[in-house]
Amino acid sequence: MATSLEIRNLHVRTEDREILRGVDLIVRRGELHALMGPNGSGKSTLANTIMGHPGYEVTDGEILFDGENITELAPHERAKLGLFLAFQYPVAIPGVSVANFLRLAINAQREEPIKVKEFGQQLRHAVQLLDVDEGFTSRHLNDGFSGGEKKRAEVLQMAMLKPQIAVLDETDSGLDIDALRTVAEGVKKLHDEQKLGALIITHYQRILDYIRPEFVHIMLDGRIVMEGGNELVDRLEAEGYDRIREEVASRA
Amino acid sequence: MPDAPPANAPAPAPARKPGSPPPATLNAALAGRGAGGAPLAELRARARDAYDALELPRWRRSGFWQTSFQELDLAALAPIERAPDPALPSILDSADSAGVLVQRDASVVHVALDRELAEQGVILCSLEQAADEHAELFERYYLRRLPLDRHKLEAASAAFWSGGAFLYVPPGLRVEKPFQIVYEIAESGSAQYAHTLAIGDHGSDLRLRHYGVAAAEIASDALHAGQFELYLEDGARCRLAQLTDWGEGAVSDCSTSVVEVGRDAYCHWLPALLGGHLIRHHYELAVAGAGGDMAFRGLLFSEGEEHLDVFAVDLHETGPSGGDVHWRGAATGSSRASFEGLIQINPGAQQTHTYLQFHSMMLSDAAKLDAIPSVLVSADDVSASHGGTVGELDETLIFYMQTRGLSRPQAVRVIVEGFFEPLIVQLDDAALEHQIRERIGAKLAAAQDDIERYALAR
Repeated sequence: MATSLEIRNLHVRTEDREILRGVDLIVRRGELHALMGPNGSGKSTLANTIMGHPGYEVTDGEILFDGENITELAPHERAKLGLFLAFQYPVAIPGVSVANFLRLAINAQREEPIKVKEFGQQLRHAVQLLDVDEGFTSRHLNDGFSGGEKKRAEVLQMAMLKPQIAVLDETDSGLDIDALRTVAEGVKKLHDEQKLGALIITHYQRILDYIRPEFVHIMLDGRIVMEGGNELVDRLEAEGYDRIREEVASRA
Repeated sequence: MPDAPPANAPAPAPARKPGSPPPATLNAALAGRGAGGAPLAELRARARDAYDALELPRWRRSGFWQTSFQELDLAALAPIERAPDPALPSILDSADSAGVLVQRDASVVHVALDRELAEQGVILCSLEQAADEHAELFERYYLRRLPLDRHKLEAASAAFWSGGAFLYVPPGLRVEKPFQIVYEIAESGSAQYAHTLAIGDHGSDLRLRHYGVAAAEIASDALHAGQFELYLEDGARCRLAQLTDWGEGAVSDCSTSVVEVGRDAYCHWLPALLGGHLIRHHYELAVAGAGGDMAFRGLLFSEGEEHLDVFAVDLHETGPSGGDVHWRGAATGSSRASFEGLIQINPGAQQTHTYLQFHSMMLSDAAKLDAIPSVLVSADDVSASHGGTVGELDETLIFYMQTRGLSRPQAVRVIVEGFFEPLIVQLDDAALEHQIRERIGAKLAAAQDDIERYALAR
């Protein structure tokens, strides 16, 4: 069986309120999933909780990676297992170049430091994949980057760290059409080449025109209320979240 | 050898009423006029008189704390003589050196100078030797800009220094490799009275690394009271780095360093203060000739119970001149650190442009790090300004790095190194950059629990 990320009955709260109210979800290696939902429905909370952000408290349920309960693991331990989170708002690391940071991150996951030559080859390959120029990797990570550059840097890191399953938290937001296509193609290539499994969080269908996910989940008010294939994306586009909200309400 | 200080000197009679607190002084703006120009014996005698008359210093600091050397028991400290020793301190990068001078406690134990450079007129020797063998140079420069009687420890240094370092680079000579001068304290009870005099003559170009280090952890009190002077004559250039790291032992350090930049001369100066029980350093970079320029960088990192007090002066005596002061400091544990930066532009120093910035990063709620910039301008066609930031560890940034597989301590190290990196990278000296990064990493490792506690408390 392929490596999987399994979320069971996950309840999460922050200091002031409960945000996730029983989420169930399975993402296997090699699968592309989309998680859609309006602002405030709990998508980013789910992404952060999957990675172990200390600001979110799991009050019930569990997160399994490859069958192992990782609900209590530190974020870096989850990363070492093969999980990755592409941030909605990547943060700048002043004084640390993209290349140096990547080397640190890669070495953090290995016993022996990566050889300079091997690292260089991997970096060149990833740089071509993401359509950025060579100088990009000597700039300080996300420091003064445009929105598009930040998102490319996220996918570049993903390409280098080779996670088994990645969560992309609104990686499409704030991108122009060219950047969006580059980022989407990058994700698709990682899926094709590395059998990446991905949970793509978005509230627009735009990125999903490039990455046709096999599984689509719709989140409302801290629960996944509807699941299906790619046709759900088209339906959402045509009808909007309000229709779905009404339908869910009438079911209850 | 000069007179050693008396081992059991009677305490000077208190000049104040019993029960009243000892007087504290604010930083005098400048080191003042140099005391030099007289024979060494006379200067030593004057310093000795000042030593006898003065009390141990205490400086009032911002807020409610002070830097005081009055707890120091001078009677328990004495200069310790050492035999010559060809083994180099581990901090030295001997492979890549123009010349090396090592002073251990009170004695210069090793001097080596590239033969070719010696033939070209470079001098590197103990200051005692220079006073005898290069009397003309010695008398021209010794204490040209340094006083000897502002406080007891300065007087002690001027009265009792032994060994010492003298470096002279002749006109027009360009030396790629660094000169390295090391002051090492090897034992508790050591009183190290140090003096370095360095001269870059007209149009010369040199690099100087100046170290203050402990050979091992110094378990009980030791003292370094040092004076450092570097004179850059017209058109000379120097990259000067001073690394002070007395380790976790009980070393107190009260020192003054001055650099004089002549006409069209340039200095890139970076003191790195990376360890010591109680440190008070006065730095003064004086642009004394038209067209003189400088980059005055500095980094400090205090941890544990360390107490670190820096007073840095960016002095412009004539114009046009340039200045660029950029220091960074981090503090953890329950350490105390203060950076006081003064821009002073003297009358007539027109067309001077200078900027002073200090950035700090707090790594513990029990630590304190103050920045006190001030500007004293006595010319009207100048620009002088200052700025700075105060930062803490950014939890979002730590989480970001954790999601890439870095542990929390690794992430903290990346942030703190990144914080200092803009200065370190400017050293343009790979070996030294490595030393400083390693030391910052070691200090962070030592402070890891403090940093964790602080993060959890927020």
